[in-house]
Amino acid sequence: MVRTAEKIEDLIDPIFLIDRPWVTIVWDDPVNLMTYVTYVLMTLFGYSKERATELMLKVHNEGKAVVSAGRREEMERDVQRLHEYGLWATLQRDDQ
Amino acid sequence: MATSTGFTRDSENSFVATFGQTECDILINLAEQLIEILAERVDDVDSDPLAAMVGITGHDSPPDDEVLLRLLPNAYADPVESAEFRRYTESVLREKKRAHAMAIRSYLLNTNESKVTLNQSSAQAWLGAMNDIRLALGVRLRVDENSHDQLELLAPDDPMRGVYAVYSWLGWLQESLLLALMDDTKSR
Repeated sequence: MVRTAEKIEDLIDPIFLIDRPWVTIVWDDPVNLMTYVTYVLMTLFGYSKERATELMLKVHNEGKAVVSAGRREEMERDVQRLHEYGLWATLQRDDQ
Repeated sequence: MATSTGFTRDSENSFVATFGQTECDILINLAEQLIEILAERVDDVDSDPLAAMVGITGHDSPPDDEVLLRLLPNAYADPVESAEFRRYTESVLREKKRAHAMAIRSYLLNTNESKVTLNQSSAQAWLGAMNDIRLALGVRLRVDENSHDQLELLAPDDPMRGVYAVYSWLGWLQESLLLALMDDTKSR
């Protein structure tokens, strides 16, 4: 069930202190209201209205924005919660 | 739809709106349709009961249906990683969405009043369900390809015209609830 690559990552990451190698990305979507995206970012991540609005506008204008960064498991949880709210989110390695 | 009012904040933990019978019926109907769409994605009955207990489903491929794919999207660009994630999380996601839609349905079926009163927790469920319904309608209306101007100009006999009217109304209703939730003036 666990691929070798993941096992190695789990071992190496803490050793080399790669503490923020994963990011959660929210993608632009023609349906979600701008107010809604702002509200969800405030609610899920505890961002201020200003910070959440800034990220929402980045999604709107640039097509996507990194909304959180951290360990892979944390990013998977963030993506899952964003999907619960209907935002279009994915996670990936930061260097991509 | 002239009889309805959008949501306003009544107090710290109370959000109110007034609906006519037509709006109630539409919301119940849409919530039921959402529940039905989600139910199409049934788990494999032969799957390991222990796996089912901890939320692992038989599904690791994305849904073929466009609406279901939008409601239950891929978490990774890579199909293999996406499949692995989906296998462990999709049933939980589906259940959350079903619960949100059920909150709207149950509330409206169990009240005779035109006034709807939500608390913080039920407001979250309504918000999520209204958004999921809009996502589903948005796929059907192809809002990614059609501009709002194009959709406004649909012919009177076009069946999508009614869908667009409901879609727009739900957007307005959702926006009113969002503004009420973010209205800090009555939160203390």
